[in-house]
Amino acid sequence: MEENYDLTLIIHRYDPDTKRSWKQTYHLNAGRILRFVDLFRKINEEEDPGLAWNSSCEHGQCGSCSVKINGKPLLACELLVENAVEYFGTTTFEIEPLNVAPVIRDLVTDIEKAYKRVDKVKPYIIQSAPLSEKGEAYSITPDEMAPYINATRCINCFCCASACISSHRGFLGPNAMLASIVRLMDPREMEKIERLRVLYSDQGVCRCHSSHACSFVCPKEIDVAHFIALAKEGRFGSKSQKK
Amino acid sequence: MAITDSVIKRLEMWILPRLAQTPVVSIYAGTRGWPFVIAWIHRFFGILLVIYVLFHIYTLSFLETPALFDHKMKFFRFFLFVLLEWLLAIPVIFHALNGSRLVLYESFGFRKDGLMIRRLLGISVAYVFFLGLWMLLGNQTVTPLFFWLTVSIIAVIPVYLVTGKIWKTGMPVGWKLQRITGAFLLISIPAHLLFMHLHPSIGHESDVVIQRMQNTFIRFVDMALVVSVLYHGGYGLLAIAKDYLESKPLQTACAAIISLVMTVFAWIGIRLILTV
Repeated sequence: MEENYDLTLIIHRYDPDTKRSWKQTYHLNAGRILRFVDLFRKINEEEDPGLAWNSSCEHGQCGSCSVKINGKPLLACELLVENAVEYFGTTTFEIEPLNVAPVIRDLVTDIEKAYKRVDKVKPYIIQSAPLSEKGEAYSITPDEMAPYINATRCINCFCCASACISSHRGFLGPNAMLASIVRLMDPREMEKIERLRVLYSDQGVCRCHSSHACSFVCPKEIDVAHFIALAKEGRFGSKSQKK
Repeated sequence: MAITDSVIKRLEMWILPRLAQTPVVSIYAGTRGWPFVIAWIHRFFGILLVIYVLFHIYTLSFLETPALFDHKMKFFRFFLFVLLEWLLAIPVIFHALNGSRLVLYESFGFRKDGLMIRRLLGISVAYVFFLGLWMLLGNQTVTPLFFWLTVSIIAVIPVYLVTGKIWKTGMPVGWKLQRITGAFLLISIPAHLLFMHLHPSIGHESDVVIQRMQNTFIRFVDMALVVSVLYHGGYGLLAIAKDYLESKPLQTACAAIISLVMTVFAWIGIRLILTV
């Protein structure tokens, strides 16, 4: 196994002041266990301080560093150089921002606009189940949690939305659907009807074509397509049901 | 079954690496997965079949003038057209079986997707092979009433199962009808293709076609086919269009155009079935 790789990074750039888009090539020598966020930082330090990119936790928990590398949406903080070389079979990588929202600059997208689709499904408990008479906090048993615990690992990195065959124009997106489904499966949530209305709306699960790209690219290995299929199967009830 | 699976696995080991090297496929198989590639093929074949169906109804409309129909059908006896008719079986059976795979996954909780993909490819190859054999032999006979009665009884089974499973879900009615028509077409369209190639005269000679269509039951089946296929195709086209059109007015305009075209062709088809 090589210790260092001579890499070529072709990065999609965008300057909002001049509205100019172009591809810029960077050549760099990098160690095998560097992550792609480290490569961006190396470019900033050694070649081009103007390259804009996004990251926060850099531990695969916040989803802010998601980009497309050779067409595959993934987290730049999770991808090691040696894994990328092995997976793509090349040392040349074309890197572009996710196509889920307008680009602000270079690899940075307007994540607030992307989040508006998640906000539409209200990813929080709308009406909580009543507390016990003693006032203890509502607890969920492991058995209750088991069917949807994987879905709760979603970090809203929007990789699934970027990969989805249904695009993100009319469809709220796989991660937004998942956020809604998590709350539908959550025994603490009492407001199901409002959720079902959004889930089965024209922007909801009927726009999913089951291409399974969401499950394939999910960095948290959530089988998103499975949860969306549960909604299509009618596991969570009908939007016209009585409360 | 174990022998079949072993043969299929060997075939896969030979085919998949070669497929994965083809330019466009390699990009999407590696970055979105094989089901994504299959979804695109499903979509592409669906569009192709809608275009073919409209062309098919247009061609059949010449039955109103039998001599003109026979004249037009002469073109379809050239080797190239016969070959194209045979190749049409590929999008038909692939789209039908992949559609059933999606219904099984989405509505019946069948999650062994890899197994279903292998089976759909295996059955598709067998169907195309046997259809080719039928076409080469060109000497099969069966009464239309017996054939279509049998096919209709078989087609009712998936329609019943799918309707029972999805009707009470909260999915939009249009989506449900697309699945239900799909369940009907899953059996009836591959059967229609087989029937048309049992003997060359069945689809190419106006007097044979007209005589067949005098039977009320056959007329009913033909009308069900026309309505189902145009609804299913129209809804499919609209679903694809909505993936690319963000604005509501554009989506509405697109829905209006597709509805108009499908209604016109449904009218041409039904009028022909009832009057010929």
